[in-house]
Amino acid sequence: MKDKQFWLYSGGFLLLLLVYWLGGHPYFKAERFVMFAAILLMAGTLIYYIRAANRHEEFYLRPIPGLKAVEEAVGRSTEMGKPVLYVPGIMDMDQVETVAGVIVLGHVAKMTARYETSLNVPVSRSIVMKAAREACRESYMVEGHPDMFHDDMVHYITDDQFAYAAGVNGIMIREKPAAVLYMGKFYAESLILAETGNSIGAIQIAGTASQAQIPFFVTACDYTLIGEEFFAASAYLSQKPELIGGVKGQDMIKAGIITIIFIAVFLRFINDVWGIGPDILQILTVQ
Amino acid sequence: MIWKRQIPILIVTIVGLLTLFGWFIDEPTVESFVNDDATQWYDILASFAIFLGALNLMKMQINKIIKKKPGWIYSIIAILGFIFAITAGFFIKGVEGVEWGAHVTTDGTLFKWMFDFVFTPLSATMFSLLAFFVASAAYRSFRIRNFEASLLLVSGIIIMIGRVPVGGIISSWFVMYILVLALGIGLNIRFKNKMITLAVVGGGILAVTTAGMLSGWPLDQPSIFYLPVLQDWIYFYPNVAGTRAIMIGIGLGIFATSIRYILGIEKSYIGE
Repeated sequence: MKDKQFWLYSGGFLLLLLVYWLGGHPYFKAERFVMFAAILLMAGTLIYYIRAANRHEEFYLRPIPGLKAVEEAVGRSTEMGKPVLYVPGIMDMDQVETVAGVIVLGHVAKMTARYETSLNVPVSRSIVMKAAREACRESYMVEGHPDMFHDDMVHYITDDQFAYAAGVNGIMIREKPAAVLYMGKFYAESLILAETGNSIGAIQIAGTASQAQIPFFVTACDYTLIGEEFFAASAYLSQKPELIGGVKGQDMIKAGIITIIFIAVFLRFINDVWGIGPDILQILTVQ
Repeated sequence: MIWKRQIPILIVTIVGLLTLFGWFIDEPTVESFVNDDATQWYDILASFAIFLGALNLMKMQINKIIKKKPGWIYSIIAILGFIFAITAGFFIKGVEGVEWGAHVTTDGTLFKWMFDFVFTPLSATMFSLLAFFVASAAYRSFRIRNFEASLLLVSGIIIMIGRVPVGGIISSWFVMYILVLALGIGLNIRFKNKMITLAVVGGGILAVTTAGMLSGWPLDQPSIFYLPVLQDWIYFYPNVAGTRAIMIGIGLGIFATSIRYILGIEKSYIGE
């Protein structure tokens, strides 16, 4: 879509929204307006930067050691003639983290295909198995090694959390992979997996948005992608402009949020002390 | 190609937009779709998909036995366990007079026996391994290597001691003496001058002792040096600040990723 068209459609959409709002906004939960406006604003910012990236505007993506190390880890496995073990978490595809994990798996599979290294992906959900298998198959095809792909490189173990941990630990102990990657949603099994990986001397890279598990991964793994870094992994590994533009947009939203936090603290302070201005807490609380 | 590319993207876009904006729509049908139906659809799909997983598991284990791969003996146990669970779940209740379906939670049935005396102890065994792993992980992270690791060690010790009963009987004056000595060590490392170290440590001890004598050595005063209060402060201020910063990043990451899927910008999930 050309710029003129884009702004025309965006303007038209906003105009329609305005007319709808002035017309009494039927079927709309008015108490959630702030959240609605925030979503529109954030989505708009993301789209703006994605379009800017598509226009070949250059954006700086700071080096993330954990992502730089992925290729190094696959290379190490190749040199040692050992497999790469990829653990996409224990949750299903309804979790964004699992989807992000499968996306990163696609990039890792490209590397293993390129280096002709074996890849082992034990999963704990059937739907994840299908999605991960598709991602790997496509990656091997893109790299020109469809013959190297086999369905069993992505295999199901169990849905149960600790049984899955036991299964993955067994694979680690038996196969001694040179690199272990944990990318997805994890719970208490994270430390069991990461410490076992540590004990076999594998290079370990973890990426998760499960906040409670981040300290465990930081302790036991060589590199950890913390929160948003994990979601930026796809952009970083693919270097696609539209994805990099999304990361830039994300950063700009973060700058906006920091500004709002400062303004809100100030407004809350003057409202509390002198009773001046609106109750910002009431406005910003999700209804 | 249209079935593998455009159609899945279209489904993601429509369902994604409906779920995202359905939260703002005051209409019972849409609300019920967003809150219940969509998740139930997913559960139904996932229930059917379990057959794929089970078949794959069996295929892998049988292959392992046939090819005598390392650890093939465990595959026999896996297959026997699978057959036993299926039998106990669908064919043999073990107790008469119990309805099918209710037998999985009724005491005395074969399935409940398996769950209580095989599955639960095995899960508990795996879970209990965490205690040992936490100890080894804590040892590694608490090793003093740099300033950050030292800070982590000190914070960890304060949190641990402040949260147990003995932390409540450690006087804040004792903590202040420790701090004076720690300051002395720091200055000595920095300046390597015995006179400065002696002056600071001596002056500090004198100041703390005088203040303590004047105030009658209250156990929990000054409260900032009282371990239960100090650990509360560490836990609720610096810790929460860091946690929230990570939370904001995660939230934004999830939002940006979701928008990329909904708009069809991120297509890696269909292998593109």
